[in-house]
Amino acid sequence: MNLDQAFETYVHESRDLLQQMEELLLEFSQGRSDPESVNALFRAAHTIKGSAGLFGLDGIVDFTHGVESVLDLVRDGAVPMTPDLAALLLECRDHMAGLVEAVAAGTELDDEALRTGAELQRQLGTYLGGEASAAQSPTAVVETGGSGVAGDEGYWHISVRFGRDVFRNGMDPLSFMRFLSTVGRIVAVTTLAHEIPAADEMDPESCYLGFEIGLVSAADQSTIEGVFDFVRDDCTLQILPPTSRAADYVALIEALPADEVRVGDLLVRCGAITEAQLEAALRIQGAEAAGIGDAAAQARLIGEILIAQKSVAPPVVEAALDKQKQLRDGKAQESRFIRVDADKLDRLINQIGELVIAGAGINLVAKRRGAADLLEAASVLGTLVEDVRDSALQLRMVPIGATFNRFQRVVHDVARDLNKDIALLINGGDTELDKTMVERIADPLMHLVRNAMDHGIEPTEVRVQNGKPARGTVKLNAYHDSGGIVIEVGDDGGGLKTDRIVAKAVSRGLIPEGAALTQREIHELIFEPGFSTASQINNLSGRGVGMDVVKSSVTDLRGTVEVDSREGEGTTIRIRLPLTLAIIDGFLVGVNDSVFVVPLDMVEECIEFTDAARTEARGREFVNLRGQVLPFIQIRDLFEIGGQPARRENILVVRYAGQRAGLVVDELLGEAQTVIKPLGKLFQKVRGIGGSTILGDGRVALIMDIPGLLRHVHGKATNREGASATALQ
Amino acid sequence: MQTSATVAPRGAAGVPTSHAAVQEPQQYLTFVIGGETFAIGILRIKEIIEFSGLTTVPMMPECIRGVINLRGAVVPVLDLATRFGRKPSEATRRTCIVIVEVESQDDKQDIGVIVDAVNEVLEIPGSEIEPPPSFGTKLRPDLIRGMGKIGGRFVIILDTNRVLASEEIGAASRGGSAEAVGDPIAAAA
Repeated sequence: MNLDQAFETYVHESRDLLQQMEELLLEFSQGRSDPESVNALFRAAHTIKGSAGLFGLDGIVDFTHGVESVLDLVRDGAVPMTPDLAALLLECRDHMAGLVEAVAAGTELDDEALRTGAELQRQLGTYLGGEASAAQSPTAVVETGGSGVAGDEGYWHISVRFGRDVFRNGMDPLSFMRFLSTVGRIVAVTTLAHEIPAADEMDPESCYLGFEIGLVSAADQSTIEGVFDFVRDDCTLQILPPTSRAADYVALIEALPADEVRVGDLLVRCGAITEAQLEAALRIQGAEAAGIGDAAAQARLIGEILIAQKSVAPPVVEAALDKQKQLRDGKAQESRFIRVDADKLDRLINQIGELVIAGAGINLVAKRRGAADLLEAASVLGTLVEDVRDSALQLRMVPIGATFNRFQRVVHDVARDLNKDIALLINGGDTELDKTMVERIADPLMHLVRNAMDHGIEPTEVRVQNGKPARGTVKLNAYHDSGGIVIEVGDDGGGLKTDRIVAKAVSRGLIPEGAALTQREIHELIFEPGFSTASQINNLSGRGVGMDVVKSSVTDLRGTVEVDSREGEGTTIRIRLPLTLAIIDGFLVGVNDSVFVVPLDMVEECIEFTDAARTEARGREFVNLRGQVLPFIQIRDLFEIGGQPARRENILVVRYAGQRAGLVVDELLGEAQTVIKPLGKLFQKVRGIGGSTILGDGRVALIMDIPGLLRHVHGKATNREGASATALQ
Repeated sequence: MQTSATVAPRGAAGVPTSHAAVQEPQQYLTFVIGGETFAIGILRIKEIIEFSGLTTVPMMPECIRGVINLRGAVVPVLDLATRFGRKPSEATRRTCIVIVEVESQDDKQDIGVIVDAVNEVLEIPGSEIEPPPSFGTKLRPDLIRGMGKIGGRFVIILDTNRVLASEEIGAASRGGSAEAVGDPIAAAA
């Protein structure tokens, strides 16, 4: 049933809006304020209320109404936006979130939540005070008396044609009408039923209805438009403001079914003119009745007459039009985004992955045949596929800013809990990365931020004592760096205390007593399982399940974590992630019959493993690379591939995290785009292999995991006696 | 599945489940590994392909022969002979890869199994299936779903979910030694 779908959309939309409200309110609570933010807040609250009304969620409507009213006063400047008010509204927002989630889960709120709601409403009431009536004052531009109806309230004309699928999409035109009556007073409704076909052709599930509605309301155009938000895509909606020019009415009438509808009647029904005015106009036009025939022409005629009589609205003030236009532009900007099911995107990216493989296949055939024209065509195709791949991957890219902004709230709340004064600085929020990554990195980041606040930043007294500003700072930063993205979580707190870490590691048996470790190695210790530096256990962190979890989640994303810390100055945790999980540029190497892929961004250069170098190495595993020692790994031996080494072997120089190493391989096969295919659970424990890919000729090639490989070899070297056992793995 | 199964003799839990599962008549694919005939329920089998294009994955236990490209998906291939502690299969003209769907707790995975030859698809009624003996098959009883009677001869019907349990094979790779793989016989003997 599509109603569920619509409801889901509602829940999603509400969550987004609540998120937006939260961000805006946090800005206010920090004293930043501009009128556009108030408007945005108001719109968000209004949309939540409006949509809730459609689904008959009275709880949300009632509560949000209070919020909306207060925001309306703020918007009119009747109530200033103080930090106190922002805090209250923030609580209200939380309550609204609670209401929405409860509705989404199909549960009722518990008594305590209800009490909170009532209390919040009471507090909101104090702001509303005696000005409740002022909230009702019109905000729309009502410059002239319009037609027929006088007073502050304008006479709006709404013309709506519901699409065929409205019922199927779970919408009921009636509920819109009902909701419309909460915005103003419906004075006239004309149902246009002429589109209903003969009974045997009629599909009872289709909607054939249109309505002409006269509405007396003090609301502005966007509010009235907002009523129809949910069917916006599914209906033709025209709203004529009270000050509409006669031409607008004429245009409207032209759009109306010209048959069998008397234009004059229509105008009367629409409320543009009164019966008496019409009669007068008709008399002037002559005895001939306006009716069947060229209705549009007649309408213009009547219109002209009416205008001559000044009975229909005079020209609308330009300012009002401009304002409308601005509103419409704003709307257009908002709707430039399309919600797409993530599965559809994934399918597209998978297919493009296949396309990349197929393209590589064609290229291979072309090369083998040596057909120049085919080769050229293949290379054009290759370029295009590459572009398509990039745009497709771009589709999945989202700025990390949204995730970062969530931490504003976290920092705000946690700082209060910890009784510390902490500010959050965000940089590089527009850095983009894969959506899946953004989702999966949020939890580790949360942990790091909490850690920084809890353990990193010292209590205020200590800070003042040490001559630091009383207010601590947590920094979130993101930037692109050599084919990957780096996310930093930094604080200006006390830094890691190396002696304490060493003592703890010794007491936990992680390192032998008196082990000589570099600063860096000591810092790495905090990622060991079961290691926690907090001397006090609290509800935030300090249960010893921290950094190792962070590290493993980052490793799962093919990323790395490093620590940069100075005692007394602060700590920065740096997470390095690949841009996407799906496709990489790779360098192909061959050993015997096997082909391996090395991620291109780690390849530094290729050199020949000359006989002279081999003689010089004399069984030891390093060569002289322009005066520097380059340790190398014999891939054939490590992977136990067997076979005789090629007459001319090559060394592929890779670099990772400042470390350089050579991989001895038989052949260098060049660059290729590779689609990463996971190897599955069975191969989870394999070290040095990160995944697989399918080559142009259909064979499977394994992708080397250089960090894993280096760690593995390093581990073997430092742990001599275990060397043989590890090799077997 | 559990790794402790490596030492579990014919568990009380093993028999009823296998018994319940073989009530209604079912079709089975019979195939040969090292001269012995085995069977797998046909519903588990996705397809049978020619043996070719295998890519070896280094540092894996012997029973994991490598991976193949199955129309764009990378599928691991196991050698059942080594899994059962026999000599590794030699590829011949009749060697095939049977693609089997394996269910574990949370997901489904396709795994290829190397067999020396594929025989035929047979219908074995539930009444013709005996519970596995506690020893004598040279296989751990928990890997066997039952013994099917075909023309007076017994055929071992394998419990694919157990034989191809990735946890168990993955554990073998962590142990990294031949004993872990040879275990099935050790327990059965």
